[in-house]
Amino acid sequence: MPVKRRSMPKKTVSFSDDETLIRTRQLNGKKMPVDHYNPPVYVRKTLLTVPFHLLPLLYHFIKCSDNYDVAKLLCFLIPLQSLYLIFQFNRSTVYGNKILKIHFGLLFISLAASLLLTLPCMAMIILLGAPMTQLLKETWILAAHCCFLAYPAVYSVFNCDFKVGIFKKYFVSIALGCWISCVVLPLDWDRDWQEWPIPIVVGAYLGAFVGYPACSYI
Amino acid sequence: MEPINAADEMSVKKSILNSSIEDRRLFRSRIQRFKATHRLYIVLMGSLAVLQFIAIAFFARGFLLSRSVLEDISKPVEDVQYGKFEKCVILVVDALRFDFTIPVDPSSKSYNPNYHNNMPVLFDSKDEHSILLKFISDPPTTTLQRLKGLTTGSLPTFIDAGSNFNGEVIEEDNMIKQMYLQNKTVFFAGDDTWDKLFQPFLSPMSVPYESLNVWDLDTVDNGVVNFFEEHLINSAQSSREWDVLIGHMLGVDHVGHKYGPNHFTMKEKQLQVNAFIEDIVNAIDDDTLLVVFGDHGMDHTGNHGGDAKDELEAALWLYSKRPKTWNTLPSNFYSVDNLGVDYREVNQIDLVPSLSLLLGLPIPFNNLGWPIQEISGTVEELMQYNNLTLQQLDLYRRVSGVITNPDKNHNLDDLWVKALRSTAEGPNFQKLFLESCKDLWARFDYWSIATGITLLSISLLLLLSITKLIPSIVVGQMVSEFVPSIIVMSLISNVCFNGIFHVLHQPEFLENWVWCSLLATAVGIIVGCCIPIFDRYNLAWIAIKFAEDLSDYWSRIAALFITLHALLFTSNSFTIWEDKIVSMLLTSLGMLTLYEFVFLPKRQSTTALMTAAMGQKQGTLSGSPAFSAGSDSAPLGRFARLVGGYHSIVLIVCTRLASMITICREEQGDSCTPTFTTANNNSVWCLVLCFLLIGFIPSCIKGYYNVCSSYQAAAPIWIGQFLKFVLLINFVFWTLTALENTMPDLNWDLKILKLTISRIIVGISLIAANVGWMMGPLCVKLNIQNNDMKSQQATILGYTNVYGAQYFLLVINFFMCIMLFSKPLAQVSLFLMCNQLLSILEIFDLLKLKDNLIGPVSMGLLAYQQFFSTGHQATIPSVQWDVGFILTEKITFPFTHLGIVMNTFGPHIIVALSIALLTLWKQPPGVLKPQTLLTRIVSNCGMLLIYNTVLCLSTFVWVTHFRRHLMVWKIFCPRFIFASLCLIVTQLVITVITIASSSGRLIRQINDIFWK
Repeated sequence: MPVKRRSMPKKTVSFSDDETLIRTRQLNGKKMPVDHYNPPVYVRKTLLTVPFHLLPLLYHFIKCSDNYDVAKLLCFLIPLQSLYLIFQFNRSTVYGNKILKIHFGLLFISLAASLLLTLPCMAMIILLGAPMTQLLKETWILAAHCCFLAYPAVYSVFNCDFKVGIFKKYFVSIALGCWISCVVLPLDWDRDWQEWPIPIVVGAYLGAFVGYPACSYI
Repeated sequence: MEPINAADEMSVKKSILNSSIEDRRLFRSRIQRFKATHRLYIVLMGSLAVLQFIAIAFFARGFLLSRSVLEDISKPVEDVQYGKFEKCVILVVDALRFDFTIPVDPSSKSYNPNYHNNMPVLFDSKDEHSILLKFISDPPTTTLQRLKGLTTGSLPTFIDAGSNFNGEVIEEDNMIKQMYLQNKTVFFAGDDTWDKLFQPFLSPMSVPYESLNVWDLDTVDNGVVNFFEEHLINSAQSSREWDVLIGHMLGVDHVGHKYGPNHFTMKEKQLQVNAFIEDIVNAIDDDTLLVVFGDHGMDHTGNHGGDAKDELEAALWLYSKRPKTWNTLPSNFYSVDNLGVDYREVNQIDLVPSLSLLLGLPIPFNNLGWPIQEISGTVEELMQYNNLTLQQLDLYRRVSGVITNPDKNHNLDDLWVKALRSTAEGPNFQKLFLESCKDLWARFDYWSIATGITLLSISLLLLLSITKLIPSIVVGQMVSEFVPSIIVMSLISNVCFNGIFHVLHQPEFLENWVWCSLLATAVGIIVGCCIPIFDRYNLAWIAIKFAEDLSDYWSRIAALFITLHALLFTSNSFTIWEDKIVSMLLTSLGMLTLYEFVFLPKRQSTTALMTAAMGQKQGTLSGSPAFSAGSDSAPLGRFARLVGGYHSIVLIVCTRLASMITICREEQGDSCTPTFTTANNNSVWCLVLCFLLIGFIPSCIKGYYNVCSSYQAAAPIWIGQFLKFVLLINFVFWTLTALENTMPDLNWDLKILKLTISRIIVGISLIAANVGWMMGPLCVKLNIQNNDMKSQQATILGYTNVYGAQYFLLVINFFMCIMLFSKPLAQVSLFLMCNQLLSILEIFDLLKLKDNLIGPVSMGLLAYQQFFSTGHQATIPSVQWDVGFILTEKITFPFTHLGIVMNTFGPHIIVALSIALLTLWKQPPGVLKPQTLLTRIVSNCGMLLIYNTVLCLSTFVWVTHFRRHLMVWKIFCPRFIFASLCLIVTQLVITVITIASSSGRLIRQINDIFWK
């Protein structure tokens, strides 16, 4: 299947972080200055990227809230994540040597996108073994937690010309947090926090907490 | 599409590959060399298999416990008179669970009309004439063990469970023997296990019946009823020749095995038993004791063998016409609320001293039980009974010397003195003694265990180095050194070990020359393998190579999956939930490949890319038209990524769908709803699904074949006709079975028809189809197009997948057979497996990971996932014994066992066969030399074996670690047995079929046609 060659695309959707491979394919081996068409997008390595707000949230969830109310936690999460995005994450995202200003319209669009993303996310969770007919609400809330934890990354994808390749690691880190936290589910400790989806939610938070600062190093 | 014939083959050879005589000679010598190497490879893999079998044998010998049996026999106690009854009628109702016998409130949630309140006689006549007790059996709850326990009063160990299928005359002192010695005539009718155990002591009038045919519900019961009618119910008092009349009814148990307790036949059976007991009650006289009991219970699926509450709780009912025989306790001991949770319990072995005392027999020498309190009418009797039992227990303790721990002995001495003084202390002595014995008979042979673990670890290292670390080309050369050195070393070490053993009797734990030779052979194989390896390499090199091999992403993922799976056995919770975890791992693997195809991350440009590019360059040499595609761009073109993504999604979705089919473990409790139930398997929707499979399976396979246009020549015959036909009659077979099971008043005798169908299927799939496959059915077609008058252009359709397409036909042969031995829902799961398997092959072909560890690991995961979704669990009760009777009505050696093996290890067999496809699928001829192909197949087989060995080793280690764990016999030990059997089955299939008979022949044939 021959690859269709386009002449100098202005903006491209790239799903790969293998820049060299893509570029050589597109430019057919010619050396070209890349900064204009492919402005470097990266996240700075600063303390700003650390999502500190997740820790008190988790602390509240585990210690203070009664019955591990995941829905309530979600209500707290969304505004805090927006603030984190506006004041911390967006300020450390560099697009073509400058930091983009926050775009409020886009903020809402990506909020809606995150909400929409909960459905494929939920499908993925079910495919990985969540119950298919029961506990659907819980599964959806878990998916919502994951998606809103990824909300800054979703916004940045919109804001930075759909460079999914740069930001996919943020999604991966949250997914990895969920995946690893599954370990406690089968254990027969009979604790009330072992109920679906509490450990996975905690895992997602920890994944995000580690992932947001760490991903700028990868 | 007409099948390719010999003329076509010749024309292919002539027209496309012109050859000269020199070439031919070269080719012939090459094939000669290939044949020799192939033979050597078989021997090498065979000896590694033998090494692993020996390791498993040693471990099993040390871990599966056995109890030393004393042959002393109790003598009647002089000057003491006891025994209230002259005669006795004993009726064993197999699997009579306790809640079957007590009244259950119809409004309660657990009430089930099929098995509750159907046997009122046992509870309603609960007056001064009778007592009903909860009868707690000791695990394992299999009939043979229970009968041994019920007559000797001792604790048969787990190892005996294996001999359920060939019981032999019991050597220990037991109740029946005592009856015989006291000149009582024992008449018996029913389960022939009794006949095997007590044959010399039973009257020749006894009538045993075949017991293990679980599909026969009535023969045994009717036999027992007739026997009792003749000798008891319809015979006058005076003409009764027996002193003890024993009946063992199997109907309830068989209904449980066949349909589960929740089935209308259960009600019929219970009503029949109830009426029968009423008849007996009316017929006996004042001097006759009637004892009715169940030897064990059954779980919610109707099976037994483990130690779940449902399986342990049986019922015991004693009845006598004489008033005031029994000394009942206050009524709060006999509360039937909540299915009798708080009802008074007695141990099963307590029946032994009780019955002996009631009948005036000496208590059997090995007894550990304590007389049931209710049997002693007065305080004097209680004193007497207690003293008699205490004497017997103490005698046994002193003679056997089972308790070696001085502290325990001291404790027991104290209790013994106390017990002599007051009757209330007696049970304490017995309890402590019983507990100590239970602990002791879990005595392991640590030398054997250590030997087993060591041998298996070494075999793992050898497998790793030979099949994975040392480059396969080098192994191909080394194989001629391996074989002679293995043979020589085995001989030498056999001579040495046997010599030392006979002269010095060391090492002591070997006991006899058989074990000595086994150990010697194992050592010989190890040394024989090590000599050529260390001739060329050293340990440091192997370690470095090992680290190097794990340097790429996919190998690491594979290693991670193996490690995770092996670590599951560190905890009972993970082991219980293994089914879900395994399917999650497989789905995760699908997600990872999907990620790979969608995002094409950087690592593609590293190792995999390099090897792929090299492979492509080699590949294009063959001049095949189909192969040039995609070589101009990156390794994965957009189309390839799309296809790969599609296959990943197929893998994920099929895995998820299959994992919905589950037979829950009892430990999973409320978190799991079983879907693999008898009702679902016999339901209409399930049969409709099975009917659809007749079309779906062939067309799905056809789809995968069409990717390389390999659906030519033999493939349509095999897949479109054979497979379809077999699936159709298989569907008929299972429909008939379902009809039999769901229609109570179906009067047709379908037995002959069903047997005919099943034998046809097995004949076709295992014999005819395999013989046909040996003829070499090619899946290629010559497409000759006349473009112009001068040149004839010929295309070979299916050229790229010559090897794979043909090899998969072999897999289909076994697949057909396994389908027959799988219940309808399992067949649906196997259909999904077909898709998963082929998708995995496509994925790893696209990713160019044919030689990576990830391929065999994902196949191994698939086998385990499918094991669970075909209605199995790693427990003994979940073995589907009833499929053993598909081919024959009675237990006949190879056929019954074939059915059970095919049913239980079906997915493992399919995977062990198709592991060669990782190499062969989409492998065009002429690219790789025959020898290289073979070495790659062996390497992939080796990796699958490594996976299974790691799991087996992990179960060895952890079952040893948890040997005193509460759950060891319930969770860890069955898992260890299962892992060992998996390894054995995989080894056998890989060595005998995959490597020895199929790959070599296939490679020779294809090279014969397409050689250059």
